[in-house]
Amino acid sequence: MLRRTLLLGLCRGPLGRGLGTHRGGSILDRDGKMSEIKKKIQSILPGGDWNPLYDTSHLPPESSDVVIVGGGVLGLSVAYWLKKLEKPRGAIRVLVVERDHTYSRASTVLSVGGIRQQFSVPENVQLSLFSIDFLRNINEYLAVADDPPLDIQFNPSGYLLLASEKGAAIMENNVKVQRQEGAKVCLMSPEQLRNKFPWINTEGVALASYGMEHEGWFDPWCLLQGLRRKVQSMGVLFCHGEVTRFMSSSNLMKTASGEEVNLKRIHEVHVKIDQSLEYQPVECAIVINAAGAWSGQVAELAGIGKGPPGTLQGTKLPVELRKRYVYLWHCPQGPGLETPFVIDPSGTYFRREGLGHNYLGGCSPTEEEEPDPGNLEVDHDFFQDRVWPPLAQRVPAFETLKVRSAWAGYYDYNTFDQNGVVGPHPLVINMYFATGFSGHGLQQAPAVGRAVAEMVLEGHFQTINLSSFLFSRFYSGEKVQEHNII
Amino acid sequence: MLKIIIPTAMLMPMTWLSKPSMIWINSTTYSFLISLVSLSYLNQLGDNSLNLSLLFFSDSLSAPLLVLTTWLLPLMLMASQSHLSKETLARKKLYITMLIILQLLLIMTFTATELIMFYILFEATLIPTLIIITRWGNQTERLNAGLYFLFYTLVGSLPLLVALLYIQNTTGTLNFLIIQYWAKPISATWSNIFLWLACMMAFMVKMPLYGLHLWLPKAHVEAPIAGSMVLAAVLLKLGGYGMMRITILLNPTTNQMAYPFMMLSLWGMIMTSSICLRQTDLKSLIAYSSVSHMALVIVAVLIQTPWSYMGATALMIAHGLTSSVLFCLANSNYERIHSRTMILARGLQTILPLMAAWWLLASLANLALPPTINLIAELFVVVASFSWSNMTITLMGTNIIITALYTLYMLITTQRGKYTHHIKNINPSFTRENALMTLHLLPLFLLSLNPKIVLGPIY
Repeated sequence: MLRRTLLLGLCRGPLGRGLGTHRGGSILDRDGKMSEIKKKIQSILPGGDWNPLYDTSHLPPESSDVVIVGGGVLGLSVAYWLKKLEKPRGAIRVLVVERDHTYSRASTVLSVGGIRQQFSVPENVQLSLFSIDFLRNINEYLAVADDPPLDIQFNPSGYLLLASEKGAAIMENNVKVQRQEGAKVCLMSPEQLRNKFPWINTEGVALASYGMEHEGWFDPWCLLQGLRRKVQSMGVLFCHGEVTRFMSSSNLMKTASGEEVNLKRIHEVHVKIDQSLEYQPVECAIVINAAGAWSGQVAELAGIGKGPPGTLQGTKLPVELRKRYVYLWHCPQGPGLETPFVIDPSGTYFRREGLGHNYLGGCSPTEEEEPDPGNLEVDHDFFQDRVWPPLAQRVPAFETLKVRSAWAGYYDYNTFDQNGVVGPHPLVINMYFATGFSGHGLQQAPAVGRAVAEMVLEGHFQTINLSSFLFSRFYSGEKVQEHNII
Repeated sequence: MLKIIIPTAMLMPMTWLSKPSMIWINSTTYSFLISLVSLSYLNQLGDNSLNLSLLFFSDSLSAPLLVLTTWLLPLMLMASQSHLSKETLARKKLYITMLIILQLLLIMTFTATELIMFYILFEATLIPTLIIITRWGNQTERLNAGLYFLFYTLVGSLPLLVALLYIQNTTGTLNFLIIQYWAKPISATWSNIFLWLACMMAFMVKMPLYGLHLWLPKAHVEAPIAGSMVLAAVLLKLGGYGMMRITILLNPTTNQMAYPFMMLSLWGMIMTSSICLRQTDLKSLIAYSSVSHMALVIVAVLIQTPWSYMGATALMIAHGLTSSVLFCLANSNYERIHSRTMILARGLQTILPLMAAWWLLASLANLALPPTINLIAELFVVVASFSWSNMTITLMGTNIIITALYTLYMLITTQRGKYTHHIKNINPSFTRENALMTLHLLPLFLLSLNPKIVLGPIY
């Protein structure tokens, strides 16, 4: 017995056997622990690949005061205004979480880039008026020391909305509202239209409204990069990851009228790093949902909409992805440099792109022919069937156009009333929305960012009153219907 | 003395052997009992000391600090319950054990007779604090904070070891009771100047002196609540206590050598108070206010007059309780809102009125409202420094004004105004939190009825 133990100890002891080999079981290694320990020692020794001080620079910080989900133009605008309006400088720590640094599917950069004040809702007009002021003075707002000034290539060519007989009265009303808010719009009869724009075919047009100032189009990518640069210089942290989870705590409270509500607050955001299983829990005080077309999914993560339908808990955020196509064509006989952004009564639109007789345009499909938003593939038949005929009818020169390229982008489409959602959620009290603008988010981004920042910092809207854009309208049913949606 | 040390040491097995539901209750109650026992040491005999054994003694300077230390342990345990609730049982017990070990070392430090033993325990208190900061702190910056904390103190105190050994060699003893009577005046030679520096730098770093204060905001902000409380309330006072003990050996060199440190403290007082006005992080504001108050203590100890010593002792106790309660209040905010930024959590008075009352009392104590001991202490120091040099009154006066400014700024930003939308559903104040604040503020305000307890051996 003793001899056998001695033999085992001398010949087949763990170190005598050579690291890593394991044949049967020895008395010393009955439950596999010894080989685990050996493996660990082997990895610690120089040459192994275990490093006790692992690098966490790719992870977001462990805590941040404000987490902005989505790094598009709305998210960056909110970050910019939060840092600009905070009273002691450097008070708030802001983290912007964006899962695609190339912005390949973001609505901002795939946008046509127009800006107009011709809306039917007065708040929309005010938002656009401030935004154009921001864009005109962009180098005063977004200047960064030692960096070249921004050139957003704003073409102030104006918008031309055409109305048929049926829509003429509504258009007059809208123009009155716009003029009250301070937009410079003029109404044109078909005669005046033909005089000013000889390339237009005014058949079926009863009235047209033409924006004379502060309307046109610009380069959204430049605005995005300018905001990004400025916001980074102001100390906002960026994180390349995806928000996968919200940890929240809830409290049962009683309202003034005695009914019981469950108020939730999100205290932690789990940010998953791209192409990895790693995630970082970020402790936060405020979450801003600026995820654009995917805001609905982010809202569901926070538990918005989980409840019996018809109640406030069960009211979902009605923002979903809608795919829209944009086509670029070349037409040497087309309208000249004075061409505004033309919107046909049928919903087709086009604008001049550059100085080489290129034009951008498209059309919003009806509810029945909504394309599948699963991918960003372009349907060229849509152009042939739905976009070209009205275009050719309105502008006869476009009968001989040649499509150069096309792309598709997402609208963060608000199925309720196609207007944005701004402000806090009544039940998840520290989630603020800045989304759902259904195609006019880019042009209103600077003003909406300021409004959300005021809401976060002060508790109420100070400059532009967007209280009709709050989430609670989805529950109470008060639509803020925008009629001039492209 | 053993009747305090052995129960404190036995708190550790009690924590490990308690049932999971009873760990907090047991440790808090028994540490309370120990603090009530230590109150008996406040019964001091005039300007002589209570010599308990060859190793431990307590006099009117160390007795209030001892009581403060033992009083703080149950309060630290009460404050830590919430943020440790999600940890595993073993971790909770480990945390409590760290606090108890720290407590034990601090008790022995404040009552040590041998200066070498004092030194060893002084250094040993760094270890549990470092473990608490780096393991249970909140952010990644805590590693940096722990490093700063450790190395500032270590580098400052290494010369102290050399100096103490030298004094042991020349004087033959380092027993504090004997050395009081054997201390000979030292001339102002270069080697004595270095001896002075070696002795004092450790405590200057600990206080901290304005130029060496970089570790303090980091350590305070990154530490968990119990770490912040013990750092602000007790560990800083180790520096003051050590300075008051060791200056006995260093006369009359102190009269010349003190000048640069006096300048740094007087200027630093105003600088750190002004920094408080621009702070956006609540804990950082309270940390800088600690530097400002401790600068007053440095000024007082370096002047070495009876009034200034009384002021220094009283200020140490008053500041200990005040900044500890401010940290607890800041923590109660942080636990609800998960952010330490002041402007994100405003108008709390309408939502948590009782907590607003504690905020008000703590702020009033911080700005040295009469008749709190904060005022008595500050007044003594200001008057003593005026007699040392008339010019200091301008700086001291400016500091008092700026202290009032930033304290009221902190109070008004967090409590008054309209509350922000996202704090509507915060939990109401727990009884534990209210008890915590009461137990801090009650001794503070009761001491104003009988301040001679904390006025030190000169009274």
